[in-house]
Amino acid sequence: MSSAIRIRDLRKSYGDVQALDGVDLDVPEGSFFGLLGPNGAGKTTFINVLVGLVRKSGGTAEVFGYDVEDDYREARDRIGLAPQEFNVDRFFPIREVLQHKAGYHGVSESEARERADEVLKRVGIYDKRDTRFDWLSGGMKRRFVLARALITDPDLLILDEPTAGVDVQLRHELWETITELNDGGTTILLTTHYIEEAERLCDEVAILDSGRVVEVASPEELMDRGTDDIVVSLRDEPTAVPDFAAEDDRVEAVELDGTKLVVTAREGGLVAPDVVRKLDAAGHEIVDLEISRTSLEEVFVEMTRTDEERATERSSDADDAPSDATDDGGAGDAAAMEAER
Amino acid sequence: MSVDRTGFYALLKREVLRFVRRPRNTFVPPFITNVLYFSVFGVILGERINEISGVPYILFILPGLIVLGAVSNAFENASFSIFHGRWNRYIEEVLTSPLSYRSMVGAYVLSSATRGIVVGALVAVIGAFFTSVGVARPFYLVAFMVVVTLLFASFGIVGGLWADDFDDLTMMNQFILRPLVFFGGVFYSLNELPTLLRQVSLLNPMIYMVNGVRYGFLGVSEVNANLSLAILTALTLAVTAVNVVLFRRGYGLTD
Repeated sequence: MSSAIRIRDLRKSYGDVQALDGVDLDVPEGSFFGLLGPNGAGKTTFINVLVGLVRKSGGTAEVFGYDVEDDYREARDRIGLAPQEFNVDRFFPIREVLQHKAGYHGVSESEARERADEVLKRVGIYDKRDTRFDWLSGGMKRRFVLARALITDPDLLILDEPTAGVDVQLRHELWETITELNDGGTTILLTTHYIEEAERLCDEVAILDSGRVVEVASPEELMDRGTDDIVVSLRDEPTAVPDFAAEDDRVEAVELDGTKLVVTAREGGLVAPDVVRKLDAAGHEIVDLEISRTSLEEVFVEMTRTDEERATERSSDADDAPSDATDDGGAGDAAAMEAER
Repeated sequence: MSVDRTGFYALLKREVLRFVRRPRNTFVPPFITNVLYFSVFGVILGERINEISGVPYILFILPGLIVLGAVSNAFENASFSIFHGRWNRYIEEVLTSPLSYRSMVGAYVLSSATRGIVVGALVAVIGAFFTSVGVARPFYLVAFMVVVTLLFASFGIVGGLWADDFDDLTMMNQFILRPLVFFGGVFYSLNELPTLLRQVSLLNPMIYMVNGVRYGFLGVSEVNANLSLAILTALTLAVTAVNVVLFRRGYGLTD
């Protein structure tokens, strides 16, 4: 599949600060691609390089094969952008703003009028067509910037935090709209702080941290890298439980608290049947079973922790280690390894 | 490319509509100012001043007031439109479009020059109520009006890109534009000045603009009209080219 976005060694520096530090990325045509990262990771800078609002310091960036600087007109014509910060013309009613934007992209006046009405209806603010942007509510403003991104019928729709600050109902409506667009073949590049949003919508996500891509994978692949908790409630408090960890290297910890047994394991859904079988074979009666899946958010937080945060956690684990080490010689090392993972 | 032509017209239309729909901000102030200029300088003081270059004082200042109104408004329109778009970031609607940089600059310059010409015409109409005025050299009148408004629209774009806040816009108007205009031969003849001051004044581009338009109206000029027109045209092309380079480099527009 060809790439909607192809980035090689993309760099952007502001003085000594490296906002983008050698980004390599391919976004397949037709995909729903998420760009995740903590504040200051470089997500908006990355997007702004594509649309021409930030000039790169080095590397190459192409949109549908067009270089964003050398072939800027072809590249920009294919992009619809709904930015995080509102940047809307406040002199004109919103329908006219849309007509102007369509005009800048070469759409004739008559067609621009039709398209403006169409996209305003699509995002549900047609009855506000003669209102200026400043007089719209927060949710309507979000809808409007999506409408403006759609008026040019883009092949690549870039949504920078499209649901920031909107209520749950609107968020679901926006999700539905952009999913429909993606089903129709539009490539979507989404940045979001709502991990659930990426989990639900994206085929693939890139995690950006300190101006670098630290991972590109599907949300499912990322979640499989975390650990799940298999929580088993037993009828009676057992005196001993089978040694799950010895027989399955996916099991990382076992904890017994009264009648509640918690098995922490990678691929928890696959490990759970074994746990149940072994408990049953050992004569334990199970009254309840629950698998608590790791969330993308937990994986994301782990991947984007700073070295300082890791060091702090290691030192805190090390402080706890001596008393454990007396009982269990490997516990301190295990904690350090966990922190490294 | 038709995308560029359609886009250029769309931006030109947007820019013209912006000032047409806000007459209280764009046309009423020069109307009031010029009624005052003609009343005070033309009628009250003018009757006490002898003829200059063979014409009554009120007729002598009329071309200067037209140039003053036209270039101030062309400059103000371009600098405000660019700066306000940057300040509120809606200029990004244009910057993220497939419009060529030449078309962007062309639309901003042409729309601002249009406002300058409309204000110039407004001043002429006001002047016609105070004195009888004819046009001796229509070609020169039109040519100078077009060139001087285009030139100051182009300067306005540089100002709009350079300004960091609204105070910078006021500063450019008060400390650069206004002194140039007032020492540009609007209200007095170069012949009235001592030799040294006269030589210094010839460095002020406004002298050539005012005299060019005066030549169009009255057929008299204190400098060579053809040479003035050629120099001003060359300057306009140069500043417009600078505008395109600034847009291409993203000066004041991109990070």
